[in-house]
Amino acid sequence: MADTGIVAGALLPGMPHLLAEKPAQCWADLAAAAREVGDRLRRLKPDVVLLLSTQWFTVLGHQFQCDPNPRGEHVDENWYAYDYGELRYDLRFDVPFTERWTDHVNKAGMQARRTRYDGFPIDTGTIVTSALLDPDRELRWAQVSCNLYADAETLADVGAAGAAAAREAGVRAAVVVVTGLSSGLIQQWIEPHSDHVSDPGHDRWNRRVLDLLTAGKVDEVLKIREDFARQAQADSQFRALAFAAGAGATAGPAQLHAYGPLWGTGGAVLSWNLP
Amino acid sequence: MSRVFRVPVAPARSGGVRRYDTTERPSAESAPARAGIVAGVLSPHPPHLIYAENPPQNEPRSTGGWEVLRWAYERLRKRIREVHRPDVLIVHAPHWITMVGHHVNCVPNPRGVSVEPIFPHLFRYSYDFRTDVELGEAIADEATDLGLVTRKLHDPRVRVDYATIGALHLVNPAWDIPVVSLSANNNPYFYSEASLEEMEVLGEATRRAVERTGRRAVLLASNSLSHLHWHEEPELPEDMEREHPYNNHQYRWDMKLLEAIRRGPTAPLRELITEHIEATASETKAGSLTWMLAAMGWPQVPGDVMGYGTIIGTGNAVVEWTPEGGHRG
Ligand SMILES: [Fe+2]
Repeated sequence: MADTGIVAGALLPGMPHLLAEKPAQCWADLAAAAREVGDRLRRLKPDVVLLLSTQWFTVLGHQFQCDPNPRGEHVDENWYAYDYGELRYDLRFDVPFTERWTDHVNKAGMQARRTRYDGFPIDTGTIVTSALLDPDRELRWAQVSCNLYADAETLADVGAAGAAAAREAGVRAAVVVVTGLSSGLIQQWIEPHSDHVSDPGHDRWNRRVLDLLTAGKVDEVLKIREDFARQAQADSQFRALAFAAGAGATAGPAQLHAYGPLWGTGGAVLSWNLP
Repeated sequence: MSRVFRVPVAPARSGGVRRYDTTERPSAESAPARAGIVAGVLSPHPPHLIYAENPPQNEPRSTGGWEVLRWAYERLRKRIREVHRPDVLIVHAPHWITMVGHHVNCVPNPRGVSVEPIFPHLFRYSYDFRTDVELGEAIADEATDLGLVTRKLHDPRVRVDYATIGALHLVNPAWDIPVVSLSANNNPYFYSEASLEEMEVLGEATRRAVERTGRRAVLLASNSLSHLHWHEEPELPEDMEREHPYNNHQYRWDMKLLEAIRRGPTAPLRELITEHIEATASETKAGSLTWMLAAMGWPQVPGDVMGYGTIIGTGNAVVEWTPEGGHRG
């Protein structure tokens, strides 16, 4: 395992259902898998964790969170009527590392923008992920937004810039991407136990992608990514995987910890190179 | 006569927002004869317009910019105060994204600070307004009866989005008219388009609720037009040297739509809106404009294009429609 640079990676869904008090079995399985990944990630004691959540989407350049400690309450604008729509957060960001990352993004010819404002809306996916992976707030995060219009290659470059920053700083870093698989929501208010992937075709696509990832064939997934996006409405065109791959976080076969439906969408918990 | 007590309009204040005294009664001369939807307005919300105006509610300061669009809004404000005199402003906005169903904000007094996630350096706005809860609930109930998946928001902790605030501020910076705010049922992860058929149904539900409650309503469709934009920002965000249409294709399509609007009637817009979305990635894909024109019954009238301008390259028009038989003042 490398001493510095990117040493591990994880991919998980950011739907708040994972925090439900009375979850569907599939939500509970995904949540337990995410907690296990968190335990193993913390065992690795990374100096910093590079984070990208598809739910923090922006359109101007690549936005970086530069508030060292955003904290507060976020009531989700869609799920507010459920216990899991009510989210508290207290996040620790490694600002000096983030500054270094932004410098690398700028040097690579992309526009990095620093964000540090009281009351800045932290996205649901980031809050859910930090609650599951790091309940005691031991990890230090460095987060970049998911630019709506950046193509997969550009996001890969943003990830690569993060890895270069980690090597330059001489730190051990992990990468976490928060993304769903297929994103076909069930357009009804359902009971948890009736959750299912909304379209059998989406389910088949999700399983095909997961099979390739667990076989270590990330490049093949990146090749079929656009078809996956079109035919299964992949979350943000599954560009989060390109970001993780660009950072070098997806080397070797992925471990699949859980896969299941989240209000009709597909969610999976995957990890690479965790102890 | 409306069951909401209409508050006499106060001039925009230099600080904070006006509070309601709900015991106020409408005066005889301010009681308009006609209830129903008295106007519909295309009222785009880019945060730049509020930033450029420097209102006391918004923390960042600017040196101006985008004046022609802001002057259009000034004329619109005057018409709303002097001609339409609504009991309520009903706004449909694309950045209260609800993944499941159409939501109606039924919180009596939403207040807080809304920090724009994409332009936080331009928009950090303290809001404090009144909801016409009875009408909001009526819209949700009518929509449910018509088969839409709906939800009434009662939790005051849900932050109000910048597109809702943007349109409402630009139309009525005094915030002295009650509000009903509707969400956009989009899938944010796939950046999908709203079902325009559902927006027609939501429009019908809105019209029924307005009529049932006897309100005098102005509808706000909080959408920009052509929506390709610059991905980088100049040092000075309001540097107007850098402001122009994204390209001539986008501009020509906006003009094609606006010429059809100016010609009237509105029925041909049904198809043209879809074509315009296809050609320009128009923000009307969120469905706000379709909702509004459907609520007005696709009136046989031209729209009054009060102004057009670009904001970071996107097309934005302020347009007013008054229904058939309504007075144009
Ligand atoms: Fe917008």
